[in-house]
Amino acid sequence: MTPSPLRNDRLERLYLFALRLYPAPFRHAYGPSMRQTLRDALRDRSLSRRNLILLVLRDLLTSIVKEQLLMLREVFVRPALVFNALVLTGLATVLALALYAIPQQLLRRGADDPQVEMADNLVGQLEQGITAGNAVPADKIEIAHSLSPFVIAFDDQGHPIASQAALNGQTPTLPKGTLDYVREHGEYRFTWRPSGATRIAAVVQRVHGDHPGFVLAGRSLREESVRQIVVKQMATLAWIAMLALIFVGTAAFGWYTRPRAA
Amino acid sequence: MATGTAPAAPLTPAVFAILLSLAEGEKHGYLIMKDARAPQGGGVRLGPGTLYGSLERMMRDGLVEESGISDDERRRYYRLTHLGHSVLAVELERLDAAVASARSLGLLPHGGRS
Repeated sequence: MTPSPLRNDRLERLYLFALRLYPAPFRHAYGPSMRQTLRDALRDRSLSRRNLILLVLRDLLTSIVKEQLLMLREVFVRPALVFNALVLTGLATVLALALYAIPQQLLRRGADDPQVEMADNLVGQLEQGITAGNAVPADKIEIAHSLSPFVIAFDDQGHPIASQAALNGQTPTLPKGTLDYVREHGEYRFTWRPSGATRIAAVVQRVHGDHPGFVLAGRSLREESVRQIVVKQMATLAWIAMLALIFVGTAAFGWYTRPRAA
Repeated sequence: MATGTAPAAPLTPAVFAILLSLAEGEKHGYLIMKDARAPQGGGVRLGPGTLYGSLERMMRDGLVEESGISDDERRRYYRLTHLGHSVLAVELERLDAAVASARSLGLLPHGGRS
């Protein structure tokens, strides 16, 4: 059966429409030839119309995707562009880490300030001869739950002689070596984990005088931990925003400076 | 202008079929498609998009070139370059060795096709 010229014309128009889905440089270079090739194929009676339509449909689907991907690669996967994007990504990552680490350190160091003052005061009182039982407040603070600051006084051997702090009803024990360090250096500021989830900003100072020993002032880091999580979230958001900006900027620059067909 | 390097063997079916078709001489798009579809041309069903996409990359690799001759401004003719001939010869040798190996293993009858 002779194919209807009208039907050929309609198929060709549809094909012409589908050609718009190819990247512009490819379409400009080969669109007329592709149209002519289809026209030649439509005129060839040795090829069944059904097979030809199926072939062209499959070809359109696969080659449009392939040419679009290749164009994207040509536009965006250029060494200079990729290198710049990687350098910017590295800088953004360093900046985001700094945005996290600096406030985190400031928060942590700031958390020691009240304890330093409390430890100084208690050391002063003990060195003036006031007994630990009188200098250390009598109220007990359960450090696993309370946010209140507390103090503990130790004798020169490291035994607690007066304590405001309690952990499950007992005076918590310091990590090994803590008092030896303070004996040598005079003071130690550290994060103390007396039990699994409890984190304490602790300051230990040496007591000199007639009754040498040590004092510890501590405070729960629970609120600081919440603030640190907020800082981490903000730094992460800033990092994602910077990466998005780099991606959009690189894509725009890549498109603007894309290699153009001669 | 050819700027690329010869593709490594094995060639894709489309590139092989196009090289084989153009080994006969200059041809335009539909003739290449028709040759490729034939069993002796590789039996590759190329559509216009795949054909011209392959031709563009083959021109970039220096395997084919436009002959400049055209019976219609939309019907462009292509021919093999020296590099295209060499790449086709290498591929044919590779396939020939594979066929010889298949024959020696008794997977193909000796003497090949009649």
